[in-house]
Amino acid sequence: MRMILTAAALSLTASMALAQTTITVQYPYPELFDETQKQLAEAFSRKHPDIKVEFRTPYKEYEDAAQRVLREGITGNVPDVTFQGLNRVRVLADKEIAVSLDDFIANEKDFDAEGYHDGMRQAGAVNGKVYGLPFAISLPIVYYNMDLVKKAGLDENSLPKSWDEIIELAKKINAQGEADGVMAEWSITGNWLWQAMVFANGGTMLTADETKVAFDGDAGKQAIATLARLATEAKSPNMTANDMLAAFSAGKIGVMVTTTSRVNAVTKQVGDKFELKTGVYPDIKDGVTRLPAGGNVAIITAKTEEKQKAAWEFLKFATGPEGGAIMVRTTGYMAPNTKAADLLKDFYTQNPNQAVALSELPYLTGWYAFPGDNGLKITDVIKDHMQSIMDGTRAKEAEAVLAEMAADTQALLPRR
Amino acid sequence: MSLSASQNRAGLALIAPASVLALLFLIAPLSSIFVLAFTDYQLGDRSLSFVGLKNFEALADDPTFWKSLTNTLIYSAVVVPGSMLLGLVSALLIDAGTSLRSFYRTAFFLPVMASLLAMAVVWEFMLHPSFGIVNATMKALGFAPHNWLKDGGIALYVLAVIGIWQSFGFNMVLFMAGLSAIPRDLYDAAEMDGTPNAWARFKLITWPLLAPVTVFVAVTSVIRSFQVFDTVHALTQGGPNKATEVLLYTIYAEGFEFFRSGHAAAITIVFIMLVVGVSLLRFVSLKKNGASA
Repeated sequence: MRMILTAAALSLTASMALAQTTITVQYPYPELFDETQKQLAEAFSRKHPDIKVEFRTPYKEYEDAAQRVLREGITGNVPDVTFQGLNRVRVLADKEIAVSLDDFIANEKDFDAEGYHDGMRQAGAVNGKVYGLPFAISLPIVYYNMDLVKKAGLDENSLPKSWDEIIELAKKINAQGEADGVMAEWSITGNWLWQAMVFANGGTMLTADETKVAFDGDAGKQAIATLARLATEAKSPNMTANDMLAAFSAGKIGVMVTTTSRVNAVTKQVGDKFELKTGVYPDIKDGVTRLPAGGNVAIITAKTEEKQKAAWEFLKFATGPEGGAIMVRTTGYMAPNTKAADLLKDFYTQNPNQAVALSELPYLTGWYAFPGDNGLKITDVIKDHMQSIMDGTRAKEAEAVLAEMAADTQALLPRR
Repeated sequence: MSLSASQNRAGLALIAPASVLALLFLIAPLSSIFVLAFTDYQLGDRSLSFVGLKNFEALADDPTFWKSLTNTLIYSAVVVPGSMLLGLVSALLIDAGTSLRSFYRTAFFLPVMASLLAMAVVWEFMLHPSFGIVNATMKALGFAPHNWLKDGGIALYVLAVIGIWQSFGFNMVLFMAGLSAIPRDLYDAAEMDGTPNAWARFKLITWPLLAPVTVFVAVTSVIRSFQVFDTVHALTQGGPNKATEVLLYTIYAEGFEFFRSGHAAAITIVFIMLVVGVSLLRFVSLKKNGASA
């Protein structure tokens, strides 16, 4: 009898202790995610009445998000869960602000079966340790102005599958004289598309031990040659990202290669002006191709074990099937969790342009962050070299540019 | 005359709020920047070590920094005379005319008050390479269209034109204030003495009497042009290939995008020295004026 009482008392105190757990959460881009996070917290509190989610004023954007949590790391005033740009996981892990999730994951049964597949875990991993679970992700896809594509003699069943075919199509659209054939948003975040092109060919940014540049290998040479051909053969216009989006929406560009996260905005801007269709990223090869996830990742920054446990529950929920479904419906990003799509069948039948990138999920990998103090500076160096190819000034000597890009990057890597 | 102890105390008490604020918001951040410039600090680090002049040596070897410094000076060299001349001419025209004065004054001053970031979006559309109104006009007039913001040869000058557009209204208002301070009877006297035309009157009366205002306008214009950031951030992000990289943007990128706080602090010191140098020039010129008056 006494034992039962003690057990009851214990469980009572335990549940009382749990009832008091409050976690603070902070996320970027309020205009995109306010509604998402609100619905997420409501759904989460129904499932976990013992955990209370409180939001801090959202970060403006990824830069702001990283800066603030880095500053708070010094003052010890971090939230318990923070949503950050996927390529900022590394700096937060390096500064020991992000909590490693490996132990939590090890304690989960059927984690893979719940849709948290390996690619998803790799996206938030640094040096083999998982520090974050991706929440809202984007992958590179191709946008087609079907009016222009059809005039060029193709239809939705014969959309390009390779860069060669994209360049051929672009030439035909150019020849019509109404619009530019193709533009890839190569400048997005400095090097995301560059990574996509190299990873798609099976390459990596650095060697496995992260001491030497590896993007100047065959995969990189192929990638830079493709970029150069876009500039020379396909006469890809040299525009800023905003100009490109405006031009595409106005029917002045036939084919656009950029992130899935633009589908919503582009669809709205295009309206009824022309038929918009999205297609898979070109030249995907099974077993070779990987595609870097853009977007944001949920990271635990909580200090105490109790808060960390509660934060883990929230992380699992937000990046799980249910959270993913809420996120997709409210934003237009993709849910990395493979089970989320099951809850979204109706959504994806109604929005086929959003569904295209689902077939790219198996190729998901991390958005690579360069190591060391100059990690983010390297992004800028790569962007500048790509600029010199894409504006045509050095498109004829692409391999020389690649060699310089490799040398400049190498100089900024930590010396060991 | 010596102050009594209580007067002294009262004086100290009166300057205390201002000194505390200055210490808190000016001296303290400035000195921490100064210290940071000699460390290897990166945002988020819990410790730092002093590296002497290493950050400055790195700057000396950094082509981006030199490009940024040169661009800032070029930008300033275009924007300062441009916005001063336009400001002066419009002030003179408005001052000479009688109708719609307040309308012109408001219209020209509008860009100063408008958020430059919002205006940058409008410029972005006007300058759009394939359907912007600027290129459409160029084509209609038989000129070759340009890729205004992506052509490394002209992007900085395009930003400078936007800078002039944005700032000449401010100079205009200053000049108008200066003009209203010139006594009318001087012009009447000049007319009686047979000054042949408006240009002679301008040379003889307006320009010399506007001199103090002109110096002030010049110095503030230089400092403001050094501080160009919004348009660069919104339109070009320093590109293409650093063609529009300016000091403030480099500081922002180094400090807040690359988290290289030490580097950013070192560039900030260079920037502060530039601004202080210009302010000193003004101080010296004011002193000279004061002595001759």
